[in-house]
Amino acid sequence: MNRVSFLLGRLLQMVVVLWVVATLLFLIFRLMPGNPLVAYIDTNFTAEMQQTLLRQFGLDRPLHVQYAIYLGNLVRGEFGRSFFSREPVSQVMWQVLPNTLVLTLSALLLAYVVGVLGGALLAARRGSWTEAWGIPAVLATRAAPEFWVGMLALAVFSFTLNWFPSFGATSPGSVYPNWWAKVVSWDFLRHLTLPVLTLALYLQGLPTLLMRSTMLEVMDEDFITFCRMRGLPERTILLRHAARNALLPVVTAFALGIGYSIGGNVIIETVFSWPGLGRTLVRAVAAKDYPVAQAAFFLIACVMIAMNFVADLLYTMLDPRVSHEQQ
Amino acid sequence: MSLLEIDTLAVQYHTLHGAVQAVRGVTLSIERGRAVGLVGESGCGKTTLARALIGVLPRNAAIAGGRVRFDGADLLQLSGDALNDYRWRRIAMIPQAAMDSLDPVYRVGDQLVETMRLRGGLTSPQARERAERLFALVGLAPGRLRLYPHELSGGMKQRVVIAMALALEPQLVIADEPVTALDVIVQHQVLRTLRELQETLQLSLLLITHDISVVADLCDDVVVMYAGRIVEAGSVREVFAAPHHPYTMGLRNAFPSLRARSARLVPIEGYPPDLASPPAGCAFAPRCPFAIERCWHDDPALLPTTGGRLAACHRAAEADALRTQAPQAFARLEATGPQSVRSGAPPAGGTL
Amino acid sequence: MSSSERAAALPQWTRATSTWRDALLVTWAVARRDRFALAGLVIYGVLLVVALAAPVVAPYNPQDLNYRPDGEVAADEVPSLPHWLGTTNLGRDIFSQVLFGARAALVVGFVAAFGVVVLGTLVGLFAGYYSGWVDTLLMRLADVAFGIPFLPMAIVLVAFLGPSIWNTVLVMILLLWRDTGRVIRAQVLSLRTRSYVEAARVLGASHLRTMFVHIAPNVLPLSFLYGSLAVGWAILTEATISFLGFGDPNVISWGFMLQDAYNSQAMARHAFYWFVPPGLCIMLAVMAGFFIGRGYEELLFPRLRRR
Ligand SMILES: Nc1ncnc2c1ncn2[C@@H]1O[C@H](COP(=O)(O)OP(=O)(O)O)[C@@H](O)[C@H]1O
Ligand code: SF4
Ligand SMILES: [Mg+2]
Repeated sequence: MNRVSFLLGRLLQMVVVLWVVATLLFLIFRLMPGNPLVAYIDTNFTAEMQQTLLRQFGLDRPLHVQYAIYLGNLVRGEFGRSFFSREPVSQVMWQVLPNTLVLTLSALLLAYVVGVLGGALLAARRGSWTEAWGIPAVLATRAAPEFWVGMLALAVFSFTLNWFPSFGATSPGSVYPNWWAKVVSWDFLRHLTLPVLTLALYLQGLPTLLMRSTMLEVMDEDFITFCRMRGLPERTILLRHAARNALLPVVTAFALGIGYSIGGNVIIETVFSWPGLGRTLVRAVAAKDYPVAQAAFFLIACVMIAMNFVADLLYTMLDPRVSHEQQ
Repeated sequence: MSLLEIDTLAVQYHTLHGAVQAVRGVTLSIERGRAVGLVGESGCGKTTLARALIGVLPRNAAIAGGRVRFDGADLLQLSGDALNDYRWRRIAMIPQAAMDSLDPVYRVGDQLVETMRLRGGLTSPQARERAERLFALVGLAPGRLRLYPHELSGGMKQRVVIAMALALEPQLVIADEPVTALDVIVQHQVLRTLRELQETLQLSLLLITHDISVVADLCDDVVVMYAGRIVEAGSVREVFAAPHHPYTMGLRNAFPSLRARSARLVPIEGYPPDLASPPAGCAFAPRCPFAIERCWHDDPALLPTTGGRLAACHRAAEADALRTQAPQAFARLEATGPQSVRSGAPPAGGTL
Repeated sequence: MSSSERAAALPQWTRATSTWRDALLVTWAVARRDRFALAGLVIYGVLLVVALAAPVVAPYNPQDLNYRPDGEVAADEVPSLPHWLGTTNLGRDIFSQVLFGARAALVVGFVAAFGVVVLGTLVGLFAGYYSGWVDTLLMRLADVAFGIPFLPMAIVLVAFLGPSIWNTVLVMILLLWRDTGRVIRAQVLSLRTRSYVEAARVLGASHLRTMFVHIAPNVLPLSFLYGSLAVGWAILTEATISFLGFGDPNVISWGFMLQDAYNSQAMARHAFYWFVPPGLCIMLAVMAGFFIGRGYEELLFPRLRRR
C-alpha cells in the first residue's frame, strides 16, 4: 500500500472515531437522568430564574440544534463554563493537562526502560529460575489493583516512614513564578515520586512481557545464529542485535501506552489526589459538572486516538524493511 | 598433519519422536589450502556436520561422540571465550541461510566493521578501509557498504556474507549451499568468486552442496555423504571418473554434466532412511541395485580402497565391474521399485 | 504477536479440536501440564466455595454495626479473636466483608467474562464468515470501541446508568468485546477456506450450521483464552469502579471495601489489616485468570513454550 494513502486513511478513520465518541458523549450527557442543572440550581430559585439559567447554557433549544452547537464548539475547542466554578472549561483543562502529561510520561519512560531491560533479561535467562518466577511476578504487578498498590505506598512511605507527601502536586501555599519553576522544584518532585513509581510498576508489565516474547522470537532468527558463528560476545549479540530488533514492537507499544495510560491515570490521580485530567473527570462526573466531564473525556479520547495514529506512524518509520516496502 | 581432522563425530537432535541421528560417526580430514566438496542428498546431515564444526548447533542438538582436531587443538573440548576465539578467526562459515544472516536493522558495512573490530581487534578506520577492500574482492561497489540488507539483491547479500567470512583471514571457510537460493547465472559468478578467493588467499574450503557438478567444477577433493555417514572420499578427478561406491555411481547417473555420454538421467529410486531409527546394515541397501545378503545386517566401514581412496561398501573391491552395470542396474531398479521386493533380500527391519 | 499472527500460528491444533467436547478436554490438558494454570483453577475453586459458603461461614453480617460488651460501637478495632481482621470505622466486621466480597467478584468476573466472550465470539464469527459489508460494519465498530478510553467511558456510563453491579457488568460487555472479536474473526477467516468447511457447505449445510457446528468449535479454545483473561480484567474493573465511587452501594465488594478504607483514612491510621486483605484477594483472583490464560496460550501456541 502506498504510505501516504495508508496514513490518510488512518487519519480519516481517526476523525470518524472522534466524531462517534463525541456524539456518544453528547447523548449520554443530555440523557442523564434528571435535569442536568439539578446540582447547580439552588432550590430557592424561582422557575423564571431557572429558565434564565437554562437559556444561558443553551439548554432550552431543540436537541438537534444543541448537537450542532456542541459539535461546532468542540471543533473550536470551546467547552463552555463549569457549572460550579463558572470558570471557562478550557482554562480548567489547561491547568490539569500538564500535570497529567508529566505524570504519565515520566511513569511510562521509567516503565519502558525497566521493562525493556527486564524483558531482555527474562529472554536471556530462558528456562532458568529467574524466568520461572519472574513471569508470575510480572503478572502479579499487572493483577494488583493500581489504587491498592497506591494505598500501600501511601501507608508505608507517606504515613509510616514520612518520606513523601500524601496528596497533591505541590505543598499547600507554595507559589512559583512559572510552570517550569514548579515542575523542577524539589517540592513538586517529592509529590511526583510515589504516583510515578506506582504507575510505572503497573505499566512495566506490558513492555516486559512484550520484550521477552519478541526477544525470544528474534533469538531464533538466522542472523542471530550468524552472530554466534562469528564469535561475537554474548552481550553484543543480546543487546546490539537481538534487543535492537525486538525493540521495534515495544516502541510502537510505547506510543499506544501514552494513549491508554492517560485514560487509566484516572486511578492513580484519584489515589494520590494528583490534580490531573483523570481526577478532574472523576470529580466532574460525580458532581454532574457536565461541561468539565465532557471536556476531560474528550481530551483523553483525543490523546488516545492520536497516539494510536502515532503508533502506526512510528511502526512504518522505524523498521527499515517496512518503509522500504511502502515506497 | 591435516588442518582439520574429524574422527567418528556423531550429532543427535532431540525431538518429540526420539533422537534423530543426523551425523552418525563421520571421519574426514581436510588439508591446508584444499577445496573439498561435501555432497549428498538433502537431509543427509551436511548442515549439521558443518554447524558442529563451528560449534553453533541448534538448541535441541548435542554432540554424541567423536573428536574434532583443528590445527592440533581439540575443538569439542573448547567452550566460552576459547571457542569464540576459534570462530571466524580460524574457521568461518557461510551459512545455508546466508540471505537471512544479516541483521536487518544495521547497514551491511557496519556489520562487517563490527566483526572486524570486535573479533579482529581492528580500529574503526582500519576496519572501514578493509571493508572497502573486501567488498572490492567479492565484486561489490564500496557504495553498497552503506545499504541495509533489504536494499541488496540475493546475490549481493551472498557476496556480503562471503566478504564477512574472509574478513579475518580464516584458515578454513565452510560454505553451506552458498548459492542454492540464487538464479543460475549468479550462482556461477558467486561460486567462481569463492573459488578464486580460496586459491589466492590459500585457505581451505569445505564446500557443501547437493549438486555434484558444482563440486566437479570447483573442488580438489570430494566427500560423499549418505544418511549421516561418509560413504566415499577421494580426489574429484578420480572419484567422478571411477566411483567406488554404488551411491556415488547412482549420483553420477543422475547428473547430466558428469556423464555426457549417458543419454538418459536415472534418478536414484527411493528415499534415505529415517535417521530417528537408522537401519542395522548398510543404510543404502534398500536403494542399492548391488545389495547382497550381508549388506542388510552388516554395516560397511569406511576403508581405504585403491589409490588412497576411501569407500564404505562391502563390494568396493568389485567396483570396476559394478560400475559398468550401474546405468542399467539403477534404471531397472527405478522400474521395479526399491526395498526388499528383490530376491535374496530380507524385508527391511527383518534382521535382528 | 499481533492477533493476526496469533491466528496464523493456530492451524497446528485447530483440526484436532473439532467438537465441543474436545474443546473442553483442551482445558483439562492445560490444567494438567501447567502448575500455574492449575494454581489458577484452584484459586477459582476456593473463590467459588467461599462465595457459596459466605453466609454460613462469615461470623457477622458484613453490613451490621457491631457493639462492644459495654454497648459502644466497636469501631476501628484492631484484629482480635471476635474480629479476626478488626472492624471498620463504623464498626463492621472486616473478615466477614472479605468473605462476602468473593460473591461480587465471582459474579462480576464470570458474568462479564461470559458476556464479553459470547459477544466477541459472535461478532468474530459473523464478521469472518460473511465478510463483505457485515465484516466492514462490525470491524469499524471494533475500531470505534478501540478508540474509546475504557475506564473513563466505564465511569461515565455507570454514572449515567446508575450505580448497580449489573450496570457495571453491562458496561464491561459493551466495551471489552473488541479484542475477542478481532482475534476470532482472523481465525474464522483462515478456517473458512479449509476443505472440511467447504465440504460441509457443498453437502448442503446451512450458513448457521456451518458457522456453529463446523467453525465455532475450532475457535472455542481461543474464546476460552480470552475468557479467562476477561475474568481477571472484569474483577479488576469492578474493583476500580467501586473504588472511584461509582459502584453499587448495596453490594459489599473488595473494591467497595478499599474505597471505604481510603475514605476513612485507614492508611493514615496504619490499619493494614483493613486494606491489605481485600487488595490481596483482588490480586489473586485476577492472577488466577492470567495464569489460566497463559496456560491456554502455551498450549495453543507451542512456538512460545518451546523457548
Ligand atoms: N533442529 C532440528 N531438530 C530436529 N531434527 C533436525 C533439526 N535440524 C535438522 N534435523 C534433521 O537432521 C537431519 C540432517 O539435517 P541437515 O543437517 O540439515 O541435512 P542437510 O544439510 O544435508 O540437508 C535431517 O533428517 C533433518 O530432518
Ligand atoms: S554395502 Fe551393499 S548395499 Fe551398501 S552400497 Fe555396498 S553393495 Fe550396496
Ligand atoms: Mg543443509
